[in-house]
Amino acid sequence: MLKKTALFLGLVFIMGCSSSDESKGGSTDDFDRSALLINLADNIIIPAYKDFGPKLVTLKSAVDEFVATPNQSNLDAARNKWLTAYKAWQHVEMFNIGKAEDLNEYYYFMNIYPVTVSDIENGVSTGAYDLNKPNYHDAQGFPALDYLLNGLAADDAGIVAKFSTDANAQGYKTYLTNVINQMDNLTQQVITDWTSSYRDKFVSSTQNTATSSLNKFVNDYIFYYEKGLRANKFGIPSGVFSTTPLPEKVEAYYNQEVSKALSLEALNAVQDVFNGKAFNGSATGASFKTYLEYLKVDRDGKNLSTIINTQYDLARSKINALDTNFSKQVKTDNSKMTIAYDALQMAVVYLKVDMVQAFNISVDYVDADGD
Amino acid sequence: MRKILLGIAITSALLTSCSSDDDSSDATKQIEVPSTYKFMRDGNSTVSFPGQTTRIEMAMELRSALGDNTKTAAELLGMFAHTEGDNDFSEAGLNASGKNIRSKVAASKEYFAANTTVSNQIKSLMDSWIEEQATIVFANWNTIATAGSAGQLQQAGGGKMRYVNAKGLELDQAVAKTLIGGLMTDQMLNHYLSTSVLDEGANIANNDNVIVDEGTSHTTMEHKWDEAYGYLYGNEIDPSTPVLNADSFLNTYLSQVDSDVDFAGTASAVYDAFKLGRAAIVAKNYKVRDEQVKIIRENISKVTAIRAVHYLQEGKVKMATGDVAGAFHALSETYGFINSLQFTRQPNTDAPYFTHKEVTAFMDDLMEGNGFWEVTPETLDTMSATIASKFGFTADAATN
Repeated sequence: MLKKTALFLGLVFIMGCSSSDESKGGSTDDFDRSALLINLADNIIIPAYKDFGPKLVTLKSAVDEFVATPNQSNLDAARNKWLTAYKAWQHVEMFNIGKAEDLNEYYYFMNIYPVTVSDIENGVSTGAYDLNKPNYHDAQGFPALDYLLNGLAADDAGIVAKFSTDANAQGYKTYLTNVINQMDNLTQQVITDWTSSYRDKFVSSTQNTATSSLNKFVNDYIFYYEKGLRANKFGIPSGVFSTTPLPEKVEAYYNQEVSKALSLEALNAVQDVFNGKAFNGSATGASFKTYLEYLKVDRDGKNLSTIINTQYDLARSKINALDTNFSKQVKTDNSKMTIAYDALQMAVVYLKVDMVQAFNISVDYVDADGD
Repeated sequence: MRKILLGIAITSALLTSCSSDDDSSDATKQIEVPSTYKFMRDGNSTVSFPGQTTRIEMAMELRSALGDNTKTAAELLGMFAHTEGDNDFSEAGLNASGKNIRSKVAASKEYFAANTTVSNQIKSLMDSWIEEQATIVFANWNTIATAGSAGQLQQAGGGKMRYVNAKGLELDQAVAKTLIGGLMTDQMLNHYLSTSVLDEGANIANNDNVIVDEGTSHTTMEHKWDEAYGYLYGNEIDPSTPVLNADSFLNTYLSQVDSDVDFAGTASAVYDAFKLGRAAIVAKNYKVRDEQVKIIRENISKVTAIRAVHYLQEGKVKMATGDVAGAFHALSETYGFINSLQFTRQPNTDAPYFTHKEVTAFMDDLMEGNGFWEVTPETLDTMSATIASKFGFTADAATN
């Protein structure tokens, strides 16, 4: 027994010498963060919203018209405007800051997919649903419009019939109207906030704390890249996070031909923000790129901003090699999908490790893929 | 008696601090190697790795099932890619688990996060072996194998029956030995012991300030380290004082390597590095921690290489004596170990000793034409020398 206790005593014997450790975080370099925030707000974020907002209003008019007069030409028009607005949406989804965040994630009401068809159909037939409730996040927004305008029946005549002669026609009309009204209402709130008060608040928050504008924006940017772009559009459908591929989980699944176009819009949006490229034009300003160049951040002897842009370009070339319909791509040759995913993933390390370290910004979320 | 022990255990985490005026770094802290892998905080153990134990247990059941010719391909694949609640295993606890083997094969953060395409190829190759075992090998269980057709072969001297595919490969061996690299080694060396996992998010700050994970006694960093430990020692009766030979995977082959006089001491080097690295995390000394990672990576990588060369040589010798079944068995082991080389880790680099492409070329060489039925001693010797020299040992040393 004595021997045993002696063994225990010697178990962990640590001699520590304390030393005054320089505090981590909080410090900033001399880069003009304010110029970066101003360029983001005035030349990218607000113009992107000002592009998206009217396109959504146009979509709303087309949907209203289709609801008033369900026929083939109004269905075509609504689909057309849906795609235009959906593409514009790809340029704002990453801005989950300010009002968008205060709404308990604006994008939850705009682009959670795949939709839960049973929630929509139950809502249509019973009229008992509340789009403000979290369990309806995956039964509204662009994906719900995709289902209602493209997936309700095997052919167009069948879809038009759902809104005209079907026993639940009124239910479908009401549901469709509620979805577009919700999207429009929330979007106007976000835009109004940016153009009235939030812009000034955003650009004047130049400190380096967890709640400062740039800290939050960088986190939102990387989170969107990792989740909204990389995982949702590529990783999940190609089965990276599951045992088998899930081709029914692509964006715009019911449309069957635009998942690639939407993902390319999203990648362009991500890269333009990185480079500080004006939404309306080709001018560039203060950005993550110029910040990295100011700090002279290298990786393996190469300019980090160049490495990131090269990686985005490589990812784009891999995406360009895919079928217009990712669902089809996953079924015919999933390895091309995972190659595109892998190219996107490569940039995560550059952004989430190298870039945030250079900016002295902490990542405020952790992947939950462990044991 | 219990109380006394417990009390002593608490005080055993004795910290002596001294102030210093200079900017002495963490490196000046001295940490002794604990005698066992037991770590306590406020009277509670901080060590936990149930997920690793579960996966080793699943792998053990899968391995035996691959030798049971009454199983169907669907049943075997169900064990490999278990879904929570499915009745795949004999143990109820395993059936209830949400964990499975397949999702953690070729799935480390550092090697496969941006390489899912290759990860999928590796997983699919294992699927195909499992399927072929059921559909081809089980179907020819009682016929004698010949070049080009699957069946049974008995080892010399009334020895064990071996069941091989058309190329002489025991697919159950290919699966089991690939798991040593693809599951255990990869998860350990390239995931849990990676700085990108150990230091992820706020792990360092939380470990520095002893902020434990909710509902547990451990910090995230401590837990990640323990999960690496669990892939090696998780099936031990008392994992804090491992005796080895506790599974059919890495744990056992570490023991086999250690029992070769040329590599004696490998097992204790790994165990000591695990203990010291864990103590270093408790002491917030990440330099010492990372030195231990290097030691573990080097030694665990070597285990795979030594066994690969060992069985290449054994295959060659048995072939020369006419023991075809014995030779094919050894070469089947080697086949899986060679596949496992792509999950090794050269210390101070982010690369394996042999890449996916290189091991695929080795495997293709072994399977060319009629596979083991035709492979030449020269091929086996060349392969042995290539692997051994990359790791800095000789084929002779690995032969005993």
